[in-house]
Amino acid sequence: MNSHLSQSHLIACHECDQLLYFVPSTDARQTAHCPRCDHAIQAGVSNSLDQVVALCITALIVLVIANYFNFLGFDAKGQERSINLLNASYELYLQGYPVLSVLIFTFIVAIPFLYMSCLLLICLPVKLGIRWRPSLWVGRLCSAMLPWAMSEVFLVGVLVALIKMASLATIIFGVSFWAYILFSILFLRVEHIVDSHRLWGWIDDQSHFSV
Amino acid sequence: MAFLLTRFPKGTAANAGLASCSICGTLSSANEQTCRRCGNQLEFRTKNSVQKTLALVATAIIFYIPANLLPIMTTTLLGNASPATILGGVVIFIEHGSYFIALVIFSASVLIPLAKMAVIIKLCIAVNSSKKLNHRELTSMYRLVEFVGKWSMIDVFVVSILVALVQLSGLMTIQPGIAISAFACVVVLTMVAAHQFDVRLIWDKEGNQ
Ligand SMILES: [Zn+2]
Ligand SMILES: [Zn+2]
Repeated sequence: MNSHLSQSHLIACHECDQLLYFVPSTDARQTAHCPRCDHAIQAGVSNSLDQVVALCITALIVLVIANYFNFLGFDAKGQERSINLLNASYELYLQGYPVLSVLIFTFIVAIPFLYMSCLLLICLPVKLGIRWRPSLWVGRLCSAMLPWAMSEVFLVGVLVALIKMASLATIIFGVSFWAYILFSILFLRVEHIVDSHRLWGWIDDQSHFSV
Repeated sequence: MAFLLTRFPKGTAANAGLASCSICGTLSSANEQTCRRCGNQLEFRTKNSVQKTLALVATAIIFYIPANLLPIMTTTLLGNASPATILGGVVIFIEHGSYFIALVIFSASVLIPLAKMAVIIKLCIAVNSSKKLNHRELTSMYRLVEFVGKWSMIDVFVVSILVALVQLSGLMTIQPGIAISAFACVVVLTMVAAHQFDVRLIWDKEGNQ
């Protein structure tokens, strides 16, 4: 452990603190588990950088689409109402719940968007070989935001709400609804690929360029 | 590229005098204050982890009471306002024969938050007990709590969508109730509590037995 090289290959399990070495596996899809506590430390993914760049760009475009068009429509006895994604939080603001409104907007739009943007800010320069390094807070922000991204939870909530409404009205699904489902799937894939070791490995790659 | 992980014979990082950064995972020796890779404050274990966790859970329990007793939303149908609590909503689904949805709502809104808080308290007690621990079982419980965390937000999202969608003046409107704020507080507080709990404390006890 005296040389810098050996220490950089050594990690500690985040859940049991066991010291571990990364050893290349012959099975490319093998997930690296901690042998002591079985914590899943890294998913086996080939071309992780390419995948993350492609997923982030697609997801960001899809999320912009999801915010632009109608999300859901509602037709009860001839009375119609359609909402876009932002209404899901904005209506609570109008009804006197400003804090909750901001919280929901943060969980379902702002954090997923910022997380993908920060990730792209880290990965794209590495992918293109550009000598540019975002500050460390971009990486730290990624770790801090991840637990608070709730797009998939929101979608399940939407489905439950629709089941509640189904007997009372005709539901019309808008373009945004499908776009947001796609975004959620892309987000889950990125979440599967990116772990702190990969993320900071990419940030290190950038510092090599900038040296 | 995929990897396997092999144990380093010396055991835990803490035993080897190394602190692992909670953000980037870099190992640093004990005399360093901040992580040289990401600048994060270094700690061997989260400071006062159990006290912080218990304080957050206690606050969550306080919010859990109004979350269940006060109306979560008010439906106004042709001028008649009827406030509904979480349990009231479950009862309505049972009356309509939607047992599955009733079960989903009841689990997500009542059972899971309670079970989550109970498990976090159990973990805090286990860390301080002198009894032999089942490390794997306790770790699985911790992972379940971490995984379930944000899924308890379902009810908050259901209300937010219903409030946004059902605004047909004269015919039918839905207004949010104060319990929804209390419920969101319970979810956020238990998520932070689970995050503050340092699960390594459970494994540290393995060495002492
Ligand atoms: Zn482990
Ligand atoms: Zn660090």
